[in-house]
Amino acid sequence: MKSLSLYQERDSIIHEIEPINKLLYILTTILIMIIVPSIKCAVLCMIISLMLLLKANVIKKVLPIINFSFIILISIIIIQGLFNINNKTVLFNIGKIKFYKEGMMYSALIVIRVINILCAFALLVLTTKPSDLIEDLVRRGLSPKIGYVLSSVLQIIPQMTSTMGTIMDAQRSRGLETEGKLINRIKAFFPLIGPVVMNSLIATRERAMALEIRAFSSKNKKTFLNETKSTKLDSSLKYIFIAAVILSIIWRAAIWTK
Amino acid sequence: MDKIVVENLKYKYPLTDKLVLNDISFKIEKGQFIGIIGQNGAGKSTLCQAITGLVPLFFKGAYGGRVLVDGIEVAKSNISDISLKVGMVFQNPFTQVTGSKLTVYEEVAFGLENIGLNREEMKNRIDEALNLLGIYRFKDRNPFDLSGGQMQRLAIAGIIAMQPDVIILDEPTSQLDPQGSEEVFKAVWDLKKRGITIIMVEHKMEKIAEYSDKVLLMHDGKVIDFDTPEKIFSRDDLMQYGVIEPAYTRICKAFDIKDSGLYPVTLDRACEMVVKYNEHN
Ligand SMILES: Nc1ncnc2c1ncn2[C@@H]1O[C@H](COP(=O)(O)OP(=O)(O)O)[C@@H](O)[C@H]1O
Ligand SMILES: [Mg+2]
Repeated sequence: MKSLSLYQERDSIIHEIEPINKLLYILTTILIMIIVPSIKCAVLCMIISLMLLLKANVIKKVLPIINFSFIILISIIIIQGLFNINNKTVLFNIGKIKFYKEGMMYSALIVIRVINILCAFALLVLTTKPSDLIEDLVRRGLSPKIGYVLSSVLQIIPQMTSTMGTIMDAQRSRGLETEGKLINRIKAFFPLIGPVVMNSLIATRERAMALEIRAFSSKNKKTFLNETKSTKLDSSLKYIFIAAVILSIIWRAAIWTK
Repeated sequence: MDKIVVENLKYKYPLTDKLVLNDISFKIEKGQFIGIIGQNGAGKSTLCQAITGLVPLFFKGAYGGRVLVDGIEVAKSNISDISLKVGMVFQNPFTQVTGSKLTVYEEVAFGLENIGLNREEMKNRIDEALNLLGIYRFKDRNPFDLSGGQMQRLAIAGIIAMQPDVIILDEPTSQLDPQGSEEVFKAVWDLKKRGITIIMVEHKMEKIAEYSDKVLLMHDGKVIDFDTPEKIFSRDDLMQYGVIEPAYTRICKAFDIKDSGLYPVTLDRACEMVVKYNEHN
């Protein structure tokens, strides 16, 4: 069964941590980088994230995620290296094109920050089932309706694309050309809209009724089949995050008062 | 006491001109198996939805008359309260999978979580429902990876776990292959034996004749007749309502094999009567 998820099944302590803590980790990382805008601090954060990813045994899966933003990162480096307004010292040159130190340093900071945030997100999405994250949020007060929409979308979208495939096959078997030239594909698209839209409208209405029959709008307080596995580590992590943010604020204040 | 009472029920969808349910009245006793038959557009699905309160709560429109379940008026109650008394299974197994759960086991829990059941009770009920429907061995599968018949039984399990006294099934096998249909019919029969009141809309007349205590024949939003399967299928105007009697009945009608004015509707009864008929001639 296809599902929109990057989750990697592994046996690691990181996988056991409450989803909310992984969300808080992302938040803490971002906060610290805002409070302490130095490259050293960003590198330190990155090392921590990479170590955690290593511990979770998912480090290989991070590369595709970073690759995804590679072109953007490269262009930031080139543009800043060439055109940053503070550019004074030439770092190196390729032919007549000069790359400046100031711009390169500035872009290095941006790149490390982006990679940092990506790594923190990767830690969440690679080690947490989306449904677990959503259920954790619902337990903490997110509306069950919003929770339902989020988790069902992840499964129902892949289902709908397969419906689309089935309808396309049906129409192809009736002689409709759905491949080849662009014009053919466009022509094939319109007869597809009718059945797909009608299908999903009817399906949506029936699903909504089926949900109501299963007390979806019940005013009772919801309970959960799965137990929460909140450990000591989970509760101490929250203090660690708070402490890290406070420390960085103190550090920043110390710099200012100097 | 009557389990379900429908009194002068009238209903019109917001966008239609004519009454889709036109002055419908009938009563159902606890534990009965009721078959609903009639051609497409007769109003069978609308009636089913009216018994659960989905009509008019879900669709609005003009509504008159009353539906009572255990003496409680459905249109004036909360649908999640009614869902503890009356469960409903729809045609398409696929649309009844919530889509928010990753395993069959969790899928059955959906309704139970909503009504706030404690975990122990929840697990007991899920185990029981999955066993009853014969799908316990799929408990760790993704619901979307089941066959049509299995998925439909999962839908029924999700309803059964809520422990309603009444289950309405609206053409539960119309989208299933013969094997899947058989699985579902068998499951429904098991429910009936457990004393659950069943209302089933179905086009397979052999099944309706075999299972039903009474059959409700609908046409054009009206109840034409509400009686035993023998009386309903012995009528000579069924064609006019787009209904064809079971094959055994049709054969016996052709040879005019009947007993006190009624034709047989099941295979066993038809055989019995054919044997008797042969002895006489
Ligand atoms: N949501 C709706 N809105 C408007 N009209 C509807 C709707 N659903 C059904 N109808 C109409 O109501 C009539 C009865 O439909 P239905 O109850 O589905 O009949 P059956 O289940 O017997 O085929 C039909 O004429 C149908 O077109
Ligand atoms: Mg119908």
